[in-house]
Amino acid sequence: MRRQIMESAGIQRLFAAVTTLLPAQPAAEAISTSFKLQTPSISRVAIPQVVKTALLGGLIPLLLLVAWEAVTRIELVPSQLLVPPRQVLATFLDLLNSGELQGHLKISILRVLLGFSLGTSAGFLVGAILGLSKRAEKYGGPFFRVLLQIPILGWMPFLLLILGFGELFKIVFISLGAFYPMTLNTFEGIKGVSNEYREVGRVFEFGRLKLLRKIILPAAVPSIFTGIRLGLGTAWMLIVGAELVAATEGVGYMMTMGRQLFQMDVVMVGVVLVGATGYLMNHILKIAEQRLLHWRNTMHA
Amino acid sequence: MADTETLQIKNVHKTFRVGKQDIDVLEDINLNVSAGEFVSVIGASGCGKTTFLRLLVGLEGEYQGDILLNGKRLNGPSINRGIVFQNHRLLPWLTIEKNVGLGLESKKGNNKAQIVQDHIDLVGLKGFCKSYPYQLSGGMSQRAAIARALVNRPEILLLDEPLGALDSLTRMYMQNELERIWKLENITAVMVTHDVEEAVYLSDRIVIMSCRPGKIKRIIPVPLSRPRDRASYDFMRIKEEVLKEFHLQAEEHFAYSI
Amino acid sequence: MNYLDYVSRKISDVYSKSIVLLIIFAAWWLVGAYKLADPTILPPPSKILRTLLELAKEGDLVFHIKMSILRVIKGFLIGGTLGFVLGILMGLSKTAEKLVGPLFHAVRQVPLLGWMPLIVLWCGIGETSKVVFIAIGALYPMVLNTFEGVRGISREYLEVARVFEFKQLKLITTIILPAALPNILTGVRFSLTISWMLVVGAEIFSVSAGGLGDMIWSARDTFRMDIVIVGLIIITLIGITLSKSVKLLETYFLQWRKTSH
Ligand SMILES: Nc1ncnc2c1ncn2[C@@H]1O[C@H](COP(=O)(O)OP(=O)(O)O)[C@@H](O)[C@H]1O
Ligand SMILES: [Mg+2]
Repeated sequence: MRRQIMESAGIQRLFAAVTTLLPAQPAAEAISTSFKLQTPSISRVAIPQVVKTALLGGLIPLLLLVAWEAVTRIELVPSQLLVPPRQVLATFLDLLNSGELQGHLKISILRVLLGFSLGTSAGFLVGAILGLSKRAEKYGGPFFRVLLQIPILGWMPFLLLILGFGELFKIVFISLGAFYPMTLNTFEGIKGVSNEYREVGRVFEFGRLKLLRKIILPAAVPSIFTGIRLGLGTAWMLIVGAELVAATEGVGYMMTMGRQLFQMDVVMVGVVLVGATGYLMNHILKIAEQRLLHWRNTMHA
Repeated sequence: MADTETLQIKNVHKTFRVGKQDIDVLEDINLNVSAGEFVSVIGASGCGKTTFLRLLVGLEGEYQGDILLNGKRLNGPSINRGIVFQNHRLLPWLTIEKNVGLGLESKKGNNKAQIVQDHIDLVGLKGFCKSYPYQLSGGMSQRAAIARALVNRPEILLLDEPLGALDSLTRMYMQNELERIWKLENITAVMVTHDVEEAVYLSDRIVIMSCRPGKIKRIIPVPLSRPRDRASYDFMRIKEEVLKEFHLQAEEHFAYSI
Repeated sequence: MNYLDYVSRKISDVYSKSIVLLIIFAAWWLVGAYKLADPTILPPPSKILRTLLELAKEGDLVFHIKMSILRVIKGFLIGGTLGFVLGILMGLSKTAEKLVGPLFHAVRQVPLLGWMPLIVLWCGIGETSKVVFIAIGALYPMVLNTFEGVRGISREYLEVARVFEFKQLKLITTIILPAALPNILTGVRFSLTISWMLVVGAEIFSVSAGGLGDMIWSARDTFRMDIVIVGLIIITLIGITLSKSVKLLETYFLQWRKTSH
């Protein structure tokens, strides 16, 4: 922990002297006392670090917002292409009040959850079998390696031809998206379990099942979790894609209709909505991961 | 007297801030090093030897007291002091030649290649100019690091446990090499080590440091002629004297020296 | 040494690697031969081969490949370069990181395909929208990996630079770029792979003239599964080639890394 801090302090010290690209480094970092920074010491006392970070981070978004408002005020670009921020907010509230937004979101999330659970389970099974059995890896490995090289979006016309435009297509397409990363990460997680841990199991004469339950799976869990998170991310991206071409409801559909009707505000609400939802889902998984994998912190420290 | 003293260290204190606490690492360090002298600093691990060298080279900015080089207070790193780090720190993406020439590029001069070649020859790495660091053994890497430190013809060479990572036979051999280079270059050297024999073999004076905070406990001169004989009585006696400072002298030795 | 041993091991290796693929292929062929499935849904291998040759002979295939690759190159160059610069800036300066970082990470939350309607509204359905879309996808991995690379540089190397009083430019060229190169090349590889996937998406989601995505998407309209499959195979092969080439670059440029770690 301290080592890391020291390293970043070292870099920072160096670049404080070197970087002239931007205003001098805020010298508030207590660690960099050992290097003379030319920053006046007033800044050290005046504003707390957290506030400063928030101000810096919010600066560009704020400027963009102001520019956006300004551009729409003086009608620099046609209002079709850029609606004022107020209108986006109003549309958002409208969609929210009418319940339209929630309806689309609910449908999309349901589809994703269904496809995601199917794809993740399948991916876990395939990955685990390939990772656990030497023979399965020997014979099946090459096939799956080739399969996972096919770009996911390429599956779309293929699946549409076989399954038509219905719900089934969307579910299968999404599960494929979750299947890819889950298979890879489960396989790699299990393969990556250090032989030292396996030997601990052998010393205690664990049976196959016990070895799996006590050693291999727990050791592979971090990687498996990465697979789950990547899978959910991919699934969420694909549902938007699938709904763009083959749906009559869902957030992707909402955005497509917005585009076709030149409702820029609806499209923008859609962009923010899918972004926020994706972030939330990922965040929930991250929290779950931290709860489950609390032992990892101490292990890698 | 003061004229011949290249390096003057006066009342130096150094504290590190860890969290909200100031930790004293070096306290009240006073030392003068004359031109051409070889001084070793010896002490237990963690007592601030590396910090001391980093102060001398200018990598640690703030300190109390004065470190004067030819009467001028040190201010940041400068190429008139060369350093060999504890682990060689050769840049793995550069050939030995490029590594050795690293500091030289800031100077103008058309004989740059020649200077680099001379220093590679000096440390006995002829033929390894185009090799990468991963292709060298530990001893060879340290040689390259020494060449890199010497290439600007610094007034002072600082060495931080330069031979610490080597096996004992290679180390002895490298000690001879170090002495040869030091004599040839006629350079002032300050070396940190934790090997007592190495210190006695190479140094004109040995600075013994005590721990927490790091202080100079004693300075032992080594008035032996060079090259030194590790088995001679005087050599052993000085070694004993140094070891005594660490309370490591063998018990029974007391018995018959009474 | 033992040559026979080596040969037999090689043979069994090839056997185990290809047997499953062969069985699947045989099953596919049998299904076609005995008309067990609707040939418009599952055309037999022979049909795929014929379609491939046809497409190749008429020059359609080369045209589509060229279109897609050109778009990827444009998008990758724009997005990758931008990402490289952004990653370096954010890596070098804490202020830049605090300034741009939050916005970058917020924008990154939007699934790539979610940008499509917005881009189409702004840039139309022409070339621009596709290149912009690919550029966005190429940007993220480049920023993240370059940033990681620069931030991960060991303090020890930076101190070497200080001891030798390097100027800013020399510091960047002799220490920062080489030390961050492994991560930067990883960024390039991810960037290219994503670009290649997105060009297919771009050609599907914003109607296009030409490109492999367009080829398989139009084939879907005319129920030509054979063309879809040929397209998938070609797309996959090119994708593998791209990432393999960058891997080759990596081994070439990172020889110094050999056992030094
Ligand atoms: N940058 C730093 N910040 C805080 N403490 C440090 C720093 N550098 C060294 N120290 C501490 O100072 C003490 C002396 O370290 P060092 O000079 O490396 O000892 P030595 O080289 O004699 O083994 C150690 O306790 C170490 O933890
Ligand atoms: Mg040390």
